[in-house]
Amino acid sequence: MALLANGLRIEVVGREITGRPVPGKPRRSYGPYLRGLPALALMSVLLVPAAFTTVQAFRSDSGIWGNFVAVFQDQDALRAFGKSLIWVGVALAVVVAGFVVALASRRVPRVWRVLSPLVIFPFGVAVLVSGAAFRLMFDPTPERGTVTALVEFFFGGSPQWLGPQLFWVVLISAFAWTWLGYAASLFRAGLDAIPDDLPRTVKAEGVRGWRRLWTVELPLLRTIIGVVTLTLVVAAVRLFDLVLIGVPPSMHDDAEVLSLFWWRSPSNDGRRAALALLLFAAVALVAVVGVRGLRRSWALPDRISTDSGAGTVAPKRSALALAVAVLIGLLWALPALVLVATALHDPTSAGLYGWWRPAGIGLESLSAVLAAGLGQALLVTLLIAVLATVLVVIVGAVTAHLLAWGGLPQWLGRAALTGFAIMAVIPVQMYADPLRSVLSDVWLGASPLSLGIVHAAAGLPFAVLLLRAAFAAVPPSLIAEAVHGQATQGWAIAQVSRQCWPALVAVAVMEFVLVWNDFIVRFLIGGAGSTPQSLVLWGEARQFATSAGPVAAAAVLSSVLPVLLLLATWSTVVRGLTVGSAP
Amino acid sequence: MVDRRTFLAGTAAAGLAALAGCSGPLRPTVKVAVPWSGTELEAFRAVLRGLEPLDYRTVPVPLGDDVATVFGQHPANRPDVVLVPQPGLVDVNRGQLASLPEPANWPYGDLWHPMLVRDGRLYGIPFKITHKSVVWYRRSVLEQCGLSEPRLWSEWLEVNESLASCGIAPLAVAGADGWAVTDFFENVLAGYAPDAYRMLSSGSASLHEPPQVRTALARLGEMWAADGALYGGVAGSLTRQFADAVVQVFVHRRAAMVVAPDFAELVIREFVDDTSDVGVFLFPAIDDAGLAPATRPLVVGGDVAVVVSKDDTANAHDLVNRLAATNAPDRWITEFGGFLAANQDARPPYSEQLCGLASDIRQADERGAGNVQFDLSDRLGAIGGSGGLGRALQDFLERVGGRGAGVDVDREAARVVDELAGMEG
Repeated sequence: MALLANGLRIEVVGREITGRPVPGKPRRSYGPYLRGLPALALMSVLLVPAAFTTVQAFRSDSGIWGNFVAVFQDQDALRAFGKSLIWVGVALAVVVAGFVVALASRRVPRVWRVLSPLVIFPFGVAVLVSGAAFRLMFDPTPERGTVTALVEFFFGGSPQWLGPQLFWVVLISAFAWTWLGYAASLFRAGLDAIPDDLPRTVKAEGVRGWRRLWTVELPLLRTIIGVVTLTLVVAAVRLFDLVLIGVPPSMHDDAEVLSLFWWRSPSNDGRRAALALLLFAAVALVAVVGVRGLRRSWALPDRISTDSGAGTVAPKRSALALAVAVLIGLLWALPALVLVATALHDPTSAGLYGWWRPAGIGLESLSAVLAAGLGQALLVTLLIAVLATVLVVIVGAVTAHLLAWGGLPQWLGRAALTGFAIMAVIPVQMYADPLRSVLSDVWLGASPLSLGIVHAAAGLPFAVLLLRAAFAAVPPSLIAEAVHGQATQGWAIAQVSRQCWPALVAVAVMEFVLVWNDFIVRFLIGGAGSTPQSLVLWGEARQFATSAGPVAAAAVLSSVLPVLLLLATWSTVVRGLTVGSAP
Repeated sequence: MVDRRTFLAGTAAAGLAALAGCSGPLRPTVKVAVPWSGTELEAFRAVLRGLEPLDYRTVPVPLGDDVATVFGQHPANRPDVVLVPQPGLVDVNRGQLASLPEPANWPYGDLWHPMLVRDGRLYGIPFKITHKSVVWYRRSVLEQCGLSEPRLWSEWLEVNESLASCGIAPLAVAGADGWAVTDFFENVLAGYAPDAYRMLSSGSASLHEPPQVRTALARLGEMWAADGALYGGVAGSLTRQFADAVVQVFVHRRAAMVVAPDFAELVIREFVDDTSDVGVFLFPAIDDAGLAPATRPLVVGGDVAVVVSKDDTANAHDLVNRLAATNAPDRWITEFGGFLAANQDARPPYSEQLCGLASDIRQADERGAGNVQFDLSDRLGAIGGSGGLGRALQDFLERVGGRGAGVDVDREAARVVDELAGMEG
């Protein structure tokens, strides 16, 4: 449309919509809320038992707070709290170490490319497996234990690693082995995504070293620091499998962290419910703080550019960094080497002597453990993991789309986000007891179907958070038509999903690996007779040292699939995990 | 050509059926819950294979320490047959068990009858019996130091002292397994104060009440506190599990003897090449207890086969009857070892050591049912388990082990009794 006036031609020109479409007030239909129902239904699988536990925590003979008072007066409980706090400190130390490794890895880019699979794969290994590997390595018998033999060779006498004074060395090593690679990888991805000219500009202005780190890199990495710290601190507070298998049962008293203390409390006791609630409160606090930090964030670009054009200064090669990198590579590969080599000995030799002896190499341990039912157990685990992953991806995508683009009122969106953040960290102890009694009364029992649904419910919140962040970063022009009602919501979800496929892959892979490697849910909720692979491993580990062969064989066989999957998709997973969230 | 929709629907239906855990076998299955794992489970599978051909499929379900949880489950999920490791559980849960026809000649001796028969009905058939008052040792070591098998507690203390001065650690204690230290203590208590043991066993006293418990603990502490008596010291003993202790005595040759039940033979057969050096002596009598004559303790345990009551238990009854046959466990005995048949009519091809143990049980039972005591941990309830008495004994070991003259054993024993009183109170 044009207007001619005094030789001036005035036209009305259309302009592309920029910025996020603001939903108009009158358009408040009920469609979006219906799309929240699948998530609600799935989460109620956990929320209802958690509500039961909460009610039981407040029910006692001496008033509402009776159970909590009893817990705080119990010396053992306070000691368990203290130990969990120490583990939070360990987690923070691992975060810092991961950051340092990521910084140093930029100096040795070629070595890092070789090193990074080695440092990452422990993340795909079950906690139970890593605990078993480290307990094998630190076996006090010099004929069997790797570390004991080395220390005796160099120093002529080795301490009792699994004993009351030193078992924490074993546990912390196993924890660091699992998580350091995850932290370092994510930090490295974040560092790589910082555009090159920014640090160079700052450096040219004379800001170097620590100050540069403090003013430039750390604020930009706030999201990733938040994600990594959150994951690690929650893992430290909920530590259970590692302590259960990493030390002999006689040391459980000394190693008792909060979740182990809960397990050893008599059931049907209000105090047990109170402990679960306190554990939940601790991790929920961490989660809420973390989510607040995550809201102010730096949106990372989709593609991590690796341009090494003219003008990029080659990183300084450092001999020290190279030496450290090689050392780290060897250290990280050692537990896996120990497990594989032990698994390749027959049970008698593996139970008596270390993996470095050539005598006794054979496949008998593997066949023994397969004959004990591991093959079928692996199939059952596959079924559970696939079911959980499919449920999480589908329900997660629908719910994430609702939260990102569904036109919800802002207070509801924010409340839902906080709710999901809290649900993402809910400990198993909150819903284990009621769920177990329900499942044992129902004819379906702890079948793969019911366990898959429980796992899906546990994994949904994290998936929703991640996918929502990814979907919100999508340019709105992509789905403008859906927002304005000219296309179906299903089409919109499909479009967005196609755009954000790294995030979907990340969610699917993480959920599959986490469910495959799970132990605590099946141990606490699955009843007798459900035999996923982690329970077979646990059964073989009752007389640990002399069953080293079958234990290692079970560990290796149950780790092959998740490790391969993780290594094959790791770069996509990192991209999916580090996508920024627009405020 | 099947079209896509039908194919997908069919796959979905099959997948759902698999997910719901339906098994559509052509033969009916009998699920047998067992407390065993590892080699013992393999041995039991061999026993089941030896019972073939059967009209049904047998599926062993290894439950480890959680066998008791079976009785809390929904009827459809429960196994059909359970091998119960603690005979006291049979009486407690008899409401959920089917009664069994009593064998005409009752070949199990007098010791099982009171626990398995109630109101004239039999609820379980004993399958395996465990002799727990046994010490396994390396013959060559005692010969080397010019010592002989101790018959009395004081002799045993002297033997330990001589071995320590000879340069060999006498005892490998399996402190990481609560039940192993509990067995050690029960032997001392049964030898020192059989009446107190019987009182505790029948439930007429709590564990911390009889004063003899404290003195028995002090006796035990004397042996553990002797200089150099424990291989690996306290830290080593607390982290060593039962099978490892056996292996360290006979394979790595670091210690001279280990207090272990008869099923240590399983471990020995698996790991030891030359078994000619393996010797066995029965747990000595405690001679300064003021009892005349001093009697050796004889503590036993066992596994009882029960049938869970369900709609159709014909196959389960059949399996239990076959397991009760005298030759049923032969494959376990010949191929794996470490098994004593509860059926006293059986004369299986035991090894030399186990032959002696089997006849020991038979003779003691013939002398009178009071001479054979069942494992206390079963009768004491929750405190008898590894969380209660086991934990207290592990703490005791930590405080007393290897300290020599620097520890007041009586005072530490009193502390243990206080700890037990606190657990029960």
